[in-house]
Amino acid sequence: MSQNGSAVEAQHLTKFYGPVAGLYDLSFSVGYGEVRGLLGQNGSGKSTLLKSLVGLIHPTSGTAKVLGLDVQKSPMEVRRSIGYVPESPRLYEFLTATEYLDFIADVRGIAYEEKKQRINRLIQALNLEGKQGDTISGYSQGMKQKVALMGAILHRPKLLLLDEPLNGLDPKSARVVKELIHGLAREGVTTVFSTHILEIAEAICDQLTILQNGRVLAEGTGQELREKAGLPGSGLEDVFLKLTGTRGVEEIVEALMR
Amino acid sequence: MRARVLLKFAKVLMVSRLRGTRRSRVTNSITSRPIIIGLIGVAMFAIGLTFGLVTISILTSASTSASAMGQIVFTIYGGIPIFLIGFFLSMGLLWELNASTEAETTDAINWLPITPAEYVLASTLSTGYTYSPLVAVAVGYALPLGVLTGNGAAFLLLVGISIVSTFIGSVGVEILRSVLARASSAFTKVGGKTMVVMRIFGVIAILVFTQLLFSGFLVVRIISTLVGDIAAATAVPVFWPTLSITSMLGSDLLASAVYGLLSLGFFLLLAYIALSLRARFWLAAPPSLHFSGTESFSKSSKLKWFGLSDLSIALVRRELRSATRRKEVVRLMAIPLILPVMILFPVVFSPAPSSTATPPVSANPLLLAGPLLFGVGLGALFLGLTSLGQEGGRLWNIGSLPVSERMVLKTKLLFTSLIAMIGLALGLILSVLIFHLSVLDALIFSAIGLTVVLAESSLGIAVGSRYADFSEGPRPRFVSMKGSIIGSILGVIMMGAMSVAFIAMLILSVRIVGLGTSLELIEALPFIATALVALIFSRIGYRLSIGPVNRILTEIAN
Repeated sequence: MSQNGSAVEAQHLTKFYGPVAGLYDLSFSVGYGEVRGLLGQNGSGKSTLLKSLVGLIHPTSGTAKVLGLDVQKSPMEVRRSIGYVPESPRLYEFLTATEYLDFIADVRGIAYEEKKQRINRLIQALNLEGKQGDTISGYSQGMKQKVALMGAILHRPKLLLLDEPLNGLDPKSARVVKELIHGLAREGVTTVFSTHILEIAEAICDQLTILQNGRVLAEGTGQELREKAGLPGSGLEDVFLKLTGTRGVEEIVEALMR
Repeated sequence: MRARVLLKFAKVLMVSRLRGTRRSRVTNSITSRPIIIGLIGVAMFAIGLTFGLVTISILTSASTSASAMGQIVFTIYGGIPIFLIGFFLSMGLLWELNASTEAETTDAINWLPITPAEYVLASTLSTGYTYSPLVAVAVGYALPLGVLTGNGAAFLLLVGISIVSTFIGSVGVEILRSVLARASSAFTKVGGKTMVVMRIFGVIAILVFTQLLFSGFLVVRIISTLVGDIAAATAVPVFWPTLSITSMLGSDLLASAVYGLLSLGFFLLLAYIALSLRARFWLAAPPSLHFSGTESFSKSSKLKWFGLSDLSIALVRRELRSATRRKEVVRLMAIPLILPVMILFPVVFSPAPSSTATPPVSANPLLLAGPLLFGVGLGALFLGLTSLGQEGGRLWNIGSLPVSERMVLKTKLLFTSLIAMIGLALGLILSVLIFHLSVLDALIFSAIGLTVVLAESSLGIAVGSRYADFSEGPRPRFVSMKGSIIGSILGVIMMGAMSVAFIAMLILSVRIVGLGTSLELIEALPFIATALVALIFSRIGYRLSIGPVNRILTEIAN
């Protein structure tokens, strides 16, 4: 696997769900060690793009390369090298957190002593101590999110694909995850994650990509996006709303209050 | 009690049942109309009536004596109430066992202002009305039998008693639901593994019990008991509806009225118990098991001796935990165990069971035990059919891990076969006890059983992967209705093909050595042929599954 070029590269990626385009002729790339945030309204294609990169959906046309590997041609190699957390992850609720992570470790071929160490360390870091023996069915949304995250980073992947990773996390755990992403980036791990929390996106990400209707609408740092929107000095929320053409927020609120 | 809320809620529960079981191809506008059930009931009544008329004409043309005719009417009329109670209890329980705990406990009903009484009565009404076409067909069948044999009054009573029996069965389910919820939380407190074991045995016991109730053999035995020892039966409330009818047929109007009123009282008592239990024991939060000992990291498994990799072992371990801890999967696992037992019902509940140690007939014991393999095979088929669909929304876990489609397939096949083999072992034990199989016969039975299990599992997975149903409503199905039908037909055809191979080789071996010759190798030929055919089917099933499983892993539904 070469470190030249991009860690993620999508070329003319298109995915149709019946007549609806989840992605439409989308091209984008992410450099090695970069933290990239995907922004967009609901249904803009963020989750579809991440699934295409994992190989969980088959694009209608176009290609996606991850760590230099074609996702469609070398799915197993891709899955070995990445970690993924979907939006609202459904875990095996009948397993305990330890059993779930033990399963992931066994599938990923992590040796006994090492998996034990890593799992215990993660459970401690993400505040799940004392709960790891309970079945996941009794966990809160945030606890499930933590277990999914642990499963994604357990094997120390080179690329992390995270769909709304901070959903339901308490402030301390959210902070841990943010620091973790930073730390991993320093070690050369590339992270692509989607979020609706614009402040967090700007705080963690090197670059932001805004999607709309399955296409890339704008890309760049927070500052570059402000310039593109012609709103220097504004909050990222205003920039996002202007770029995505979302208007009439006040009218909607008024209608809801009536 | 708000009647409007009760009726509205009963309708919602009924629609939920209809859409939960007939999702495909039936539009929501049809399933949201309760009148459809009524129309189906009318059609079923007509069908029952036709069969009733045919029965009467056959009995008349066979010059059946009046006393024999009276006995037939007595058995059928007496059997209907007990059959209906068993049926409604069975259907309600199977429905409950299907329910995913997760979906059930997050049901909106838990936080809406609906009283326990409204819930229990609406649910009872919904169960009764949803399956009411069965009452219609039973009553339709009974109409000509009653009217044309001079028992018109008994028929009118039967209509009323059938409705009461329907509600007794339906409200019985409500009691069991609350008790199961209470038991579930109690087991959780006892400890994880204990609960897992108790739940499995509990589910199997409930299923065997309800299948026994539903079995016609048991009904016939009950009726014979009633005829022979009516005094003992009077103390059992579940027999009161039947006794009301049989008393009327015996012209004892007072007894009939008393038993009729007692039946109604029994229903009201059950309803009271049901709503009291609902109010006290209902759980609105998903139960979580706790497994003591946090150091549950898996070490090297003994399964490695069988040539399994760490990856396969991890996947099989996950399957086992799913099968033993998920309520909606536990009942699937019970199926290969129950089917062989059900096939033995005719032997166990035959009117004159043999009390001697010798088999009832002098046929080859292996041939007598053979039908049990149909039960084991169909159990394996059903497990295979549902094996992919039960991944549900958790499919991404496997899809995002470095697990190939062949590995997933082999794990599913291995797991399905392992569970079905427990059924095979049970079948073997029963065969040895009942048919007195010799050691050689037992070995042949096991060897063929293994190949049948492999063949039916492979077929089940091949069909189940094409028609997997990943939706996770309150009642997950795991395989589409179309897939179930196609799988069942192909499964039976496959059994037929294996039987044909067996019979063909049996005829051939008889021709070779002559009837009565005891050359064991020649006698084994039919069994070897069956096993070979089964292995060929296994291979075909496996090959046919690779493509669909790959598609499932690379095109995960949103």
